[in-house]
Amino acid sequence: MASIVSTYSLGTAMLSSMAQAQNQLTQLTAEASSGQYADLGLQLGDQSGYELSLRNQTNLLQSLTTANSLTVTNLETAQAAIDSMRTDAQNALTSLTSITAGATGAASSLQSAGTNALQSLIASANVTSNGQYVFGGDNTGVAPMADYFSATTSAAKSAIDAAFQTTFGFAPTSASAANISSSQMQSFISGTFANLFSGASWTSNWSSASSTDVTTQIAPGESATTSTDLNQPGFQQLAEGYAMLAEFGGSSLSSTTQQAVITAASSLINQGVSSLTTTEATLGSAQTRVTDATTSMSNQLTILQTQIGNLDNVNASAVAVQLNSLSTQLETAYQLTAQLQKMSLAQYLPV
Amino acid sequence: MSLSAALNIINSAFVANAGQSAVISSNISNAGTKNYAREIANLITTSGGGVQVASVGREANAALLEQVNTSTSQAAYQQALSDGLSTLAQTVSDSSSVTSSSGAAANGNSPSAMLANLQSALETYDASPSSTSAAQGVVTAASDLTQSLNSGAAAVQSVRETADSGMTSAVNTVNSLLTQFTSVNATIVSGTATGADISSAEDTRDSILTQLSQQVGISTVANPDGSTSIYTDSGVTLFQGGTARTVSFTPTATYTDGATGNAVMVDGVPITGSSSPMAIQSGALAGLANLRDVVAPEYGAQLDQIANGLISAFAESDQTGGTAPTLPGLFTFSGATGVPSTAATTGLASEIEVNANVDPSQGGNVNLLRDGGIADPTNSAYTYNTTGAASYTGRIAQLISATTSTQTFSAAAGLGTSSSLSDYANSSVSWLQGQNQAASNQLDYQNSLVSQATTASSNATGVNLDTEMTNMLTIENSYTTTAKLLTTVSAMFTSLLNAV
Repeated sequence: MASIVSTYSLGTAMLSSMAQAQNQLTQLTAEASSGQYADLGLQLGDQSGYELSLRNQTNLLQSLTTANSLTVTNLETAQAAIDSMRTDAQNALTSLTSITAGATGAASSLQSAGTNALQSLIASANVTSNGQYVFGGDNTGVAPMADYFSATTSAAKSAIDAAFQTTFGFAPTSASAANISSSQMQSFISGTFANLFSGASWTSNWSSASSTDVTTQIAPGESATTSTDLNQPGFQQLAEGYAMLAEFGGSSLSSTTQQAVITAASSLINQGVSSLTTTEATLGSAQTRVTDATTSMSNQLTILQTQIGNLDNVNASAVAVQLNSLSTQLETAYQLTAQLQKMSLAQYLPV
Repeated sequence: MSLSAALNIINSAFVANAGQSAVISSNISNAGTKNYAREIANLITTSGGGVQVASVGREANAALLEQVNTSTSQAAYQQALSDGLSTLAQTVSDSSSVTSSSGAAANGNSPSAMLANLQSALETYDASPSSTSAAQGVVTAASDLTQSLNSGAAAVQSVRETADSGMTSAVNTVNSLLTQFTSVNATIVSGTATGADISSAEDTRDSILTQLSQQVGISTVANPDGSTSIYTDSGVTLFQGGTARTVSFTPTATYTDGATGNAVMVDGVPITGSSSPMAIQSGALAGLANLRDVVAPEYGAQLDQIANGLISAFAESDQTGGTAPTLPGLFTFSGATGVPSTAATTGLASEIEVNANVDPSQGGNVNLLRDGGIADPTNSAYTYNTTGAASYTGRIAQLISATTSTQTFSAAAGLGTSSSLSDYANSSVSWLQGQNQAASNQLDYQNSLVSQATTASSNATGVNLDTEMTNMLTIENSYTTTAKLLTTVSAMFTSLLNAV
């Protein structure tokens, strides 16, 4: 006898295949609308952690990119400030060359040139970006350059006055200044006076900046020095030149001594400008590093997105084809069920 | 031979016809009953030439039934495992990953995704170290991470509790089925001895065995007296010699970290757990026990390792070269007196929290993240930012690299002993989803085996209505012919009597 098919299995075979098809139908519908696997965790299994690491890396790169744009703003602010310092220095130099030593009004012109230049240097040195003093090194919470012209005599000014008094025995404003020879003045300027603008004197009287610059992560595992500080030689040389003019330019000096001051100040300002160029170049190369890192991260992001897509995304056309064939299959199953119900001997036997 | 002998034979034919009809009716009415074995009326010729229903046979197939039961056990095992794993997998639900309006992908709330958020927050903080809001962002990300670990650990315990109560009801079902089996078995034994019709009792027996195999994997032995002995798939006796063994289990209502549940006992011998000499391999009980004692605790141990890795990665040490102990920093746990060793981490995932010293909502100071001193704000030995600079990034850079540098983990959690914290967290997600996928695939496979075995068994032993109908027609014809015969014999008797 041929193997029989029991009526029970005949009925249930179609049932389970219909249930399976309906299950698949909901899954495929979800996949068709979202473009992703309906249950990613179940689909990826062991690869879930890998997929998650790609997503995590994407998030990390995105936040680094945002952070880098902030860093670039800081760097650009610092460079703009240095640019304006250099312009001020060039202007000061121009006015110095126009002054003839010993001429009438030369003293007051020298003094006002020095005072104005020093004031704008202080203003530029204390610029902020996002509330941070960009020339403060890592000590960004405090204005890096002390106000030389503050109402209560600043420490820097007291130190210069005291040094002058000690060397010559009278104040710079005294009429006795006319007796200072140019060689005396030169040795004061290059000795006692110059020492006030370097080392501990500079950091205690002029600068609150930290000599440690800010180090920032600009890409995963890559960090860069992304700021500068007021303790760089360029700032010291400019301050020295300007202060010299502001303090001694107005003194009643002999014309040769006045010429010695002009020469010394011009030379310092020139040195300052060239030192500033070096500092700016350092900032510029830091900015290039940050921009390069951002560009390379943006490339990585594209690759990451592609990889995530490869793991997560379903083939849309394949899903559409599957959906079609599945609905055809379901309809066939319904028709078959109806046909099978009719195919019973009971339908044909006389009652 | 006489006419009255012919009448006797006709009578026996009517009786046999009725008996056959009864069997066919029974078959037809049970056409839709799962596991019903078709009955057959066995006819024999009597000494006088008549016919008689000698016995009612049953088209049983023990081998196919065994296959149904085995695959049912395997499917139930995988079902229990898969249910628990998909509950756990929901805690790392990257399946629900959505892309936020900013284009950044939200990766569910797995510890791995939360760790990545913390890294991003640290990078942002690194770019603006003097910003309190950036520091607050790090603390918030850290607190999200601890919550993710806390809820993961809670889910592990809740899965274990659910499994434990599932085991309780499985054991109750097994005991009640064994009691039913005892009486059915007695009916079959006495029916076999007296030759009574035991077909329906045998159907009940087979159905009980299938239900039993749902709960625990079994093997059966048919004895000559008609009784059946039941053993677990590991060989422990459940039913023998007409007596059911007692299956006992003491439930544990609440699971805490490191707590172990009780084993299921048969006559005092454990049949689940590592202490069992003969542990069962399949059925819901085995699946639940595996989930409760092996799979869920292993995932819990991985979470504990992640928590421990965090605490040690963010710990603060003496910066002055002195002897102050290394203490938990940003991440700590209640009652912490130091950084735990990798071997003693049980329960850390449920206890890990953000240090109150750095959490503004608990009166802490967020700037300690940049400056150090979270471990003990009153002890300057833990201060990293000795100059007090507002943009000091040394400590932040250390914290960033701490999450990606290689750490040591306990081998007991099954994910290797040496990797970075973020790799370890990712591996943990992979492990869980891998287990989930394997259990789900196994479940699909076993379910299709069950359906195939059931179909095969049903085809071999079940009822086909058309066959029964055809048999019915044969009987009807035979009945009609016998009735015609009776009329004829009756007419012959009448002629004979008239002739007298």
